[in-house]
Amino acid sequence: MEPALVLRDVRKSFGANRAVDGINLAVPRGALYGVIGPNGAGKTTCIRMIMSILFPDSGELSVLGRRSALEAKDRIGYLPEERGVYRKMKVGAFLIYMAQLKGVSRDEAAGRVPRMLDSMNLPGTEGKLCEDLSKGMLQRVQFIAAVIHQPDLVILDEPFSGQDPVSVRLLREHIVAEHRRGATVLLSTHVMANAEEMCQHVVMIHQGRKVLDEPIAGLRRQFDRRTIHFEPLDSGADPSRLRSVSGVERVEATGEGYTVTLAEGTDAAGAVARLAAAVPPARVELARLRLEDVFIRIVSEGAPGSDAARALRAGLQESEGAFA
Amino acid sequence: MKRVWLVAQREFVAAVMNKGFVIGLLVMPAIIAVLVMVMPRLMSTQGSQIRGEIAVIDATGQVFDGLRAGLTQEAITRRRTEGARRALENAPAPVRTVADESSDAAIERAMGVAPSFTLLQRAATADVQSEKRWLTDTVPQDAPRHLALVVIHPDAITQDAARTEYGGYDIYIPDNTDERVETTIYDAMREALVSARVRAHNMDRAQVEAVMRVRRATSVTVTAGAERRTNVGFNRFLPFIFAGLLVFGIMIGGQTLLTQVIEEKSSRVIEVLLSAVSPLELMAGKILGQMAVSMLVLALYIAMGLLLLTSFAMLGLVDPMLIVYLIVFFLVGYLVFASAFAVVGAAVNEMREAQSLMTPVMLALMAPWFFATPIGRDPDSAFSVAMSLLPPVNTFAMMIRLASTTPPPFWQVGLSLVIGVASAVAAMWFAAKIFKVGLLMHGKPPNIGTLIRWARQA
Repeated sequence: MEPALVLRDVRKSFGANRAVDGINLAVPRGALYGVIGPNGAGKTTCIRMIMSILFPDSGELSVLGRRSALEAKDRIGYLPEERGVYRKMKVGAFLIYMAQLKGVSRDEAAGRVPRMLDSMNLPGTEGKLCEDLSKGMLQRVQFIAAVIHQPDLVILDEPFSGQDPVSVRLLREHIVAEHRRGATVLLSTHVMANAEEMCQHVVMIHQGRKVLDEPIAGLRRQFDRRTIHFEPLDSGADPSRLRSVSGVERVEATGEGYTVTLAEGTDAAGAVARLAAAVPPARVELARLRLEDVFIRIVSEGAPGSDAARALRAGLQESEGAFA
Repeated sequence: MKRVWLVAQREFVAAVMNKGFVIGLLVMPAIIAVLVMVMPRLMSTQGSQIRGEIAVIDATGQVFDGLRAGLTQEAITRRRTEGARRALENAPAPVRTVADESSDAAIERAMGVAPSFTLLQRAATADVQSEKRWLTDTVPQDAPRHLALVVIHPDAITQDAARTEYGGYDIYIPDNTDERVETTIYDAMREALVSARVRAHNMDRAQVEAVMRVRRATSVTVTAGAERRTNVGFNRFLPFIFAGLLVFGIMIGGQTLLTQVIEEKSSRVIEVLLSAVSPLELMAGKILGQMAVSMLVLALYIAMGLLLLTSFAMLGLVDPMLIVYLIVFFLVGYLVFASAFAVVGAAVNEMREAQSLMTPVMLALMAPWFFATPIGRDPDSAFSVAMSLLPPVNTFAMMIRLASTTPPPFWQVGLSLVIGVASAVAAMWFAAKIFKVGLLMHGKPPNIGTLIRWARQA
């Protein structure tokens, strides 16, 4: 089947600034894609071009098989990064209005609104004015506005920014539910932990270029099998015994224990068993994939300790990173 | 099209369903009602009766009796009634009928009770200086107040051999005298002096007055079909009223359009909207929605005006075609100006930034106040014709000409309308382009040159 979304060598400049510098992308139908990258990488510009709010300087786009999102508006749900509502409008009226604009009948929309508000932990806000809601609540209202018409393609630009941990979990559940309903979901975030946990596939953008386009499963295989976190039961245990285990390339002391790096080609499962036999462990686990590390490794091209890498890492954790 | 309709509907409801709109709508009629109903009452209660003494030094010895007769309450009331009748002669026929039917009591109620004066005759040779001091004497609470001193000159009723003019009189009044005291004395003195002079010449007063009186002709307007009494006052105001309604209607919709677009831009709701509707649909919906609001307000004001005219039985003064023209020219003019307001709204981020771009629009909207008088006075002059064909003010100018005493030839009305429609189409085309580019632009507000570049780009 034709992909839900195709970008072919899309470019966009604002004056001298090349916001998007030749991006190719194909999102298959029914996929849950995460677009990640630090602030200013070009994610929002990309999404705005997909939505035909901005037009590329060159390159081609196809959205749900059409040449432009304008031709498939009713089948797309969009949560922009810069959110706004009519301050003087009631939440219920606003959502019904948005649903009607997307082709849902008035009665149908009126039925869906209270249900969706309840499920978003916003019960009874229907009759409230938008200006009386908190910023986080409004964001959830806008998420509802983006999916109330049950679109085939859901595009969410930084859906988690400004949300507390409970709302982040709620939003994640709803995004996954949209995916399960059969919708193609594309979300952007600069907090990679979010993408890591829910996306099937990630696309990394850095300085307007795509630097990675991989399924999460493949990434795990590629980047993840060589690092083991090891915490000895007895904190006075001799780390040299770990070093002598076969297949171990390097052991580094961390706060609570050690990070063990395996030599290439070593079977991780066997190595874990051998390490546990050598030193009784309190905890031994394969390091989980951290997109952040992947990203920094790719971008800083094998110089993970450099200043540039540290700055990047800071950019990936700032603000709502503290929440998520 | 369905989306345009939805946007228009929301705009209309958002504009109409709020307290500000209802209050704004009612303020104007409320002010008119207050002026019509409450003011006369306030005025009449203020006219508590004036009482007091007037001292007269009559050097001629022949005017005092006449003056006293002229300053009795009955004489004052009679003069007022006559004055009111004279004033009404220029008023439209229905108003006159109403006035004729109302009794003298009504006039008295409107003007207050006639004052009650006591006249004190001083010796012909009395000292003016000491009499002036009488004016400023402190008077006990209950005693009559000293209102005025009238000094009639010795030559007031006899002509000087050298001059053709008669002498006159002086009035001295204390500080803070009700101006009605003075005006009443002026009126009575004129009567008394004329009577005394006529007597001195052994003439018959009635005859002299008959010779002097020339009835004012009632002018009749002749049209192809019928004749009607010319109504100068009303006709002079009609162009102003219609131009005012036109501008007023456009301002209501246009201003709201501007603030709404700016609000949507600054609250960033625009991006959500643009994911559902195209910029063109959004603009069309907004313009239509605000047009409906303006039409509602305009309809209410027209209805109110007609009601007012009906209650004065003056409905015949307004040609019903004028109202049809008003609506047609409103629609055309509105579309031109609404496009301009939409352009400004889409181009800027805040109301503050809108000022410089708004200046030309506001100037065009104010134009009718400058050319209403010259066009109303001379509706077929070259200036009038030129203005009624020049967009964007052609709709105003043509409306003024239509409401004037000399309606323009039909082909000019048609041509003005065609020009209006063409400029509306051009304005909306331009606005659509700017809307597309401007809505997501934030940052430095553009100037006219930038706007034109945007239009070329889009």
